[in-house]
Amino acid sequence: MACIKVDYDKCTGLGICESLAPEFFEVSDDGNLTLLEEEAGPDALDDVREAVAGCPTEALSLKE
Amino acid sequence: MSLTTEHARPSYDPVSLSPLSFWAKSPAEREEDYAVLRRERPVSWHPPAEGSMMPPQEGGGFWAVTRHADIAAVSKDPETFCSGEGIQMEDVPLDILEAVSSFLATDAPRHTKLRKLVSSAFTPKRVKKIEDQIKDQARRLVDHLVETGDCDFVEHVSRRLPQWTIFEMVGVEDQETREIATHAADGMVSWADEDVRAGREPAELLTESLMQLINVALDLAEARRAEPRDDLMTNLVQAEVDGESLTDEEIAAFFCLLSIAGNDTTRNTISSTMRQLTLNPDQRAYLVEDYDARIGTAIDEFVRWATPVMTFRRTATRDTELQGQRIREGDWVVLFYASGNADTEVFDEPGRFDLSRTPNPHIGFGGGGPHYCMGNQLAKAQLRAIFHELLTRAPDIEADEPVYLAGNFMQAIKSMPCRLNLG
Ligand code: HEM
Ligand code: SF4
Repeated sequence: MACIKVDYDKCTGLGICESLAPEFFEVSDDGNLTLLEEEAGPDALDDVREAVAGCPTEALSLKE
Repeated sequence: MSLTTEHARPSYDPVSLSPLSFWAKSPAEREEDYAVLRRERPVSWHPPAEGSMMPPQEGGGFWAVTRHADIAAVSKDPETFCSGEGIQMEDVPLDILEAVSSFLATDAPRHTKLRKLVSSAFTPKRVKKIEDQIKDQARRLVDHLVETGDCDFVEHVSRRLPQWTIFEMVGVEDQETREIATHAADGMVSWADEDVRAGREPAELLTESLMQLINVALDLAEARRAEPRDDLMTNLVQAEVDGESLTDEEIAAFFCLLSIAGNDTTRNTISSTMRQLTLNPDQRAYLVEDYDARIGTAIDEFVRWATPVMTFRRTATRDTELQGQRIREGDWVVLFYASGNADTEVFDEPGRFDLSRTPNPHIGFGGGGPHYCMGNQLAKAQLRAIFHELLTRAPDIEADEPVYLAGNFMQAIKSMPCRLNLG
């Protein structure tokens, strides 16, 4: 299991993470990011890693 | 003069990025100069940009950052490299900067609050909602193109989809006003181009364009105050920041930013891509073979190749160091995105238009950090829709030599003839 962390001070709510791993990230209509799942199992890890790497503001991190 | 306390500047770099003649060259010629800088002097000191509207400061100048990794590092460190002191590589009169840049030229915490007022319209869910409309619009545009036949691609295709999309979202309804606003937004980034200026002084063109944009913005704001709708202008007139409504000036600045950022960037990416697909028939064939599966990856290469935004500036908030150069508080630091997107440290054979390039960590939408392009997903939705229509309905369409806009900010194609070859 890997644990996802969001730095809400850095997040600008554009949802590039959501487009890469929609089961984990959702930007709601008020523009705030909600973490749908905090833990990523082995199946989802690739998608989540891609989302973490794809975040332009470095707001996401993964503790494995 | 005390060189002991204020350490001396290096001399100006022999490869100069400042003169108008540098910006009048073709993108490929500019790349030859960037390549030298990236390899030998990745952070270099240059005289103030030629042709500015403001008298240059004595001994002034800017640092040019040309490597991909350094552009990303500066972009992601807004505390050291801020945007609030201006974002263009030349001095722009401060009132104009404020009037057009909105949150683009601000720093946290204000940046965060202002950006949030509109960013919720650009999330994946909201982009998906408008995506069907974008597809319809792309289809109508290509219907029109097929009827028209050989014509100027910019006027008939690339200009139209971004214009429709951004003004549909903001809430500008009639086509005539959309045209006025697009024309004015273009004027804001074209002051260095003699053709566009047509005898006017740069400042004259800027002021005239700005007044037009502000008028459209304020008329629309008034209409939405009287009768709210489901659009961005309604959000803005209803918004509060720290318990206060936005002023008319702030609303107009939002409108200017969205009109400029939403139009020219995507337009030039569409034009540039059409030209590259003409020059690289193998890549076109590769894309068409499995469009839906390949377009996502291809779009990043479209944007890397086009890099419509060539430069943005930051200002150092403290003394610091970059690639061994000592940067002083207050120094200007200019990010050369086009150079970063051709950096061989990051891209294999950057001179190839390779639609299967993966990974493709281009910095066409910015080097990351808080100002990263808010419209990136919207732009991608438009590129996907328009090339789907074009390559299905006019599969043999070709674009001839483009005519570029002069200037150091937008890599813009003013016009480009196309042939439909419909057989
Ligand atoms: C292919 C098309 C586009 C490209 C290449 C592009 C490029 C860029 C770049 C380089 C930046 C600056 C990033 C930075 O300073 O780190 C930016 C910012 C921005 N872009 Fe785009 N852009 C495109 C399309 C759009 C569209 C369609 C919109 C829609 C409104 C848009 C809205 C914005 C806004 C509002 C900002 C300022 C964000 C901020 O300061 O927080 N862009 N864009
Ligand atoms: S990609 Fe990064 S900045 Fe964007 S919503 Fe996700 S976490 Fe926030």
